[in-house]
Amino acid sequence: MSILATKETHVVIQGGVAGVNAARRMGEFRHMIQQPLNVSAFVYPPDAGKTNEVVCGNRLLTIPVYKTVAEATANHPEINTSLVYIGADRAYAGAKEALDNSGIQVVSMITEGLPEKDSKLLGAHARKLGKVFNGPSSIGVMSAGECRLGVIGGAFDNLVACKLYRPGSFGVITKSGGLSNEIIWICSQFADGITTAIGIGGDAYPGTDYVTYLEMFENDPQTKAVVIVGEMGGDLEERAAEWYGAKKRRVKLLSVVSGFCQESLPKGMKFGHAGAKEGLQGEGSARAKSEALKKAGAIVPETFGALGPAIKQTYEEFVKSGEVKPIPDLSEAEQPKLPRTVEQGMKDGDILVAPLIKSTISDDRGDEPLYEGYPASELINKGYDIPHIIGLLWDKRLVSKQEAEIIRRIIILSADHGPCVSGALTTIIGACAGIGLSQAVAAGLIMIGPRFGGAVTDAGRYFSYAIDNNMSVDEFLSHMKKNVGPVPGIGHRVKSLRNPDKRVKELVGYVKSLDLATPHLDFALEVEKITAAKKDNLILNVDGTMAAVLVDLGFPVDSLNGFFVLARTIGLIGHWADQKRQGSRLIRLFNYLVNYAAPARREVPPLK
Amino acid sequence: MAKVLEGPGMGLLKKWGLQTPNYAVVGSSEELEQLAQANDWLNKSSLVVKAHEALGSRFKLGLVKVGLDLKGAKAAAKEMLGRTVGTLTIREVIVSEAVDHSEEYYVAVKSTRDGADVMVANCGGVEVESNWDRVKRCSVVVGDAPSDAALEGLAKEAGFSGDLIPKVADFARKLFLCFDNEDGQYLEINPVVQNAAGELVALDAVTLLDGDAKFRHPDWTFPFAAEFGRAYTENEEEVMAVDSKVKGSVKLIEIPGGDTAMLPAGGGASVYYSDAVVARGGKLANYAEYSGDPPDWAVEVLTDKVCSLPGIKNIIVGGAIANFTDVKKTFGGIINAFRKAKAAGKLDGVRIWVRRGGPNEKQGLAAMNALKDEGFEIEVFDRRTPLTDIVDMALAKK
Repeated sequence: MSILATKETHVVIQGGVAGVNAARRMGEFRHMIQQPLNVSAFVYPPDAGKTNEVVCGNRLLTIPVYKTVAEATANHPEINTSLVYIGADRAYAGAKEALDNSGIQVVSMITEGLPEKDSKLLGAHARKLGKVFNGPSSIGVMSAGECRLGVIGGAFDNLVACKLYRPGSFGVITKSGGLSNEIIWICSQFADGITTAIGIGGDAYPGTDYVTYLEMFENDPQTKAVVIVGEMGGDLEERAAEWYGAKKRRVKLLSVVSGFCQESLPKGMKFGHAGAKEGLQGEGSARAKSEALKKAGAIVPETFGALGPAIKQTYEEFVKSGEVKPIPDLSEAEQPKLPRTVEQGMKDGDILVAPLIKSTISDDRGDEPLYEGYPASELINKGYDIPHIIGLLWDKRLVSKQEAEIIRRIIILSADHGPCVSGALTTIIGACAGIGLSQAVAAGLIMIGPRFGGAVTDAGRYFSYAIDNNMSVDEFLSHMKKNVGPVPGIGHRVKSLRNPDKRVKELVGYVKSLDLATPHLDFALEVEKITAAKKDNLILNVDGTMAAVLVDLGFPVDSLNGFFVLARTIGLIGHWADQKRQGSRLIRLFNYLVNYAAPARREVPPLK
Repeated sequence: MAKVLEGPGMGLLKKWGLQTPNYAVVGSSEELEQLAQANDWLNKSSLVVKAHEALGSRFKLGLVKVGLDLKGAKAAAKEMLGRTVGTLTIREVIVSEAVDHSEEYYVAVKSTRDGADVMVANCGGVEVESNWDRVKRCSVVVGDAPSDAALEGLAKEAGFSGDLIPKVADFARKLFLCFDNEDGQYLEINPVVQNAAGELVALDAVTLLDGDAKFRHPDWTFPFAAEFGRAYTENEEEVMAVDSKVKGSVKLIEIPGGDTAMLPAGGGASVYYSDAVVARGGKLANYAEYSGDPPDWAVEVLTDKVCSLPGIKNIIVGGAIANFTDVKKTFGGIINAFRKAKAAGKLDGVRIWVRRGGPNEKQGLAAMNALKDEGFEIEVFDRRTPLTDIVDMALAKK
């Protein structure tokens, strides 16, 4: 058995991120005791209509978020408890809304800094309705083996270490959140653990005092003793002492009170929680509280450290009298465990996952990218340049200085070719239509194909085919004519022998000036001699030249179009930015640029 | 609780219809001179000048001067302004009108668990403090207001008679309204006096408000005063500034002359650690606390201040088993500050004692333990060592 939070508790959490975190902690607890999640809903107006994800065991649950508590309880009539995780300025209204809901019996508030008056009003309102308002600034309620409200108990490992998967015999009431956890631990190490531990909050006037909970514990047969961790200030401990001393009680009471240091501090200095303030007439000192509790018959150790042995002694007396039967500890293997994540399993080395993709060129897992194993910063610092990165990522090798220079020139020569070509024109039309950079540039890139800029790969493929098969130019041309069609890389829309492409001349001239074997380029130039003789514009074009040179450098045929795509992207970005800069307006084709060859206007026949 | 100085305190009383003497808060004697040209009472009345700062024992320090004319008030203001008391410099004085009276009374409203107590006595000033049994009280449940009949009954019970009964009841009613609407925690008027016209006047007031309620009082434009009877130190103010910015909390109070520095986690545990130091005969050099999973940099600032306390021999990095404060992360902040302090020579001969549990406790404690290799004198304990045992060890190992 337990009090306040039990097997029958079903929760609505009022609040945002902090509330979701609490729900996740509660999910861990439910997994530990092998019960379904007891958080039915959230109330958080900004997210109303959405859902929050909460892990419980190895399942990811989606919990609905509502605008009001009434909506939540209407949809989830099992809800009987609310946890309030709302900021101090709105917490009163939220808690009031929950208290006024007929289905809700317990409201526990974690909010800190709630005005004292609001806290008193909520406490009084709850008492009038016969309900419980716990907090504010309460860490939550923990009933071992049954229910966790809030984050009390901490991490999963701690829940297991404190044996919270099953009830013990000790009730706990504390103002301090951190100490609630400490006492839970002590009870599990020096005795058989807790039934319920309640954080009532560290404020001066918490909504519910020790006495209310002492009464509940007194009526819970599983609870044999209650531990109160008190603080100076206020009169809650005195009232607890009064309750305990008033008549013979079934439960044993143990208590410590903090604040003895106050006696030796400079006058006026106070510390700790808001509630740990001296009464204005000197009442509420730690000493007065300790004396009152002792007088009432409670066990009051001198220091916090002596609390453990006192709990142990009390427990041993229970065992001796037969009131409590010791619970055997679970072995390591029997203890509940959280399902491990794939990441954790892999870290521990006992899970093998078949990868979805394989990458052989770069690795981003460190503090900087590695290209083919080389750190990017080191490449920069040792003088490597963009062509080298192309070499690493496209062909998995560090190209030589000479090769890098050729690549550099290829990119410069093909970076742009004015606004009229298919790619640039498309990007410009996109820019004028108000399309964003990446879409407009991508639209331009889509134009790259067999007729525009996209012949590099095919040109390289067929020149390689010729060289690999030791073909003569004639054999090659008849092979192409028979099997393929026009030779990729040969021919130009406007350039011709008489109007040569300066880019081709420049590139060929440079490559030929080097001490470099260029069988593909030489072959391509031989092909040009024959084709150009047949027709003036069947010259080796820039695609074909690039292709031949790059194949000579050893780049894989499939990467060759990439050089044009890469280079021309520079130009396309420029065109997009150029239009943006000018604030260009939407353009459309003029009628007179269209040959309207469709049938003239005529009557539509009746629909048959 | 947030203490409000006399000036703004009087302002709140006036807002709720209570009569106060004329007063002015000034920062220079020239300002007083200018005010006198507009306000007749400064020229005609007998004046009282008081330092307008959060200071106890102002009378003893010579920071209250009575029975002055304007010239005397200006001289008193000039003398007080700029004086330093401890770490505090007097920047303002309050000049108020003396009210001739023969009888002094006492009216207060105090927050209680169930609501508030209205307290009335037919004596005031120091007399009421030595005759506390003459204070009569009437309890008001939160959400209610005292009836006129109840307040008149209270006045009668306190020994008032004749037309003073309704006057005192009315005064108490207004003070309660002020308390209830201004989120008061303690409002004390001592003394209440009767002026020549027979009206009750609030001569001096203690005003404690609920600082947490500031969000619903846009007219609380005044700063809250330190509750200590002393000004906050520079380090304390720096930590407060960090505290106001972060999730969770970091707190620091310096105590001069101590040699045991405190750096514990948790509002509850921190006081048990302080208790343990005092119980073992140690001298606290400070109070500190961090909780609610504050960011590591905030804990680093706090640690930096703690390491800078003069003459410390031990630092107690204590803490219970945290619910959700990440031990590894917060210890990361502490370790950063420790390294800096050590490099600056601040930790020479200082022993560090650590005990903690909570999320990521293994990693956090291991990181602390590793400081041994860097030449720190540090002892690290986990949850199996009882909470305050590190204090026993620190103070035993002389």
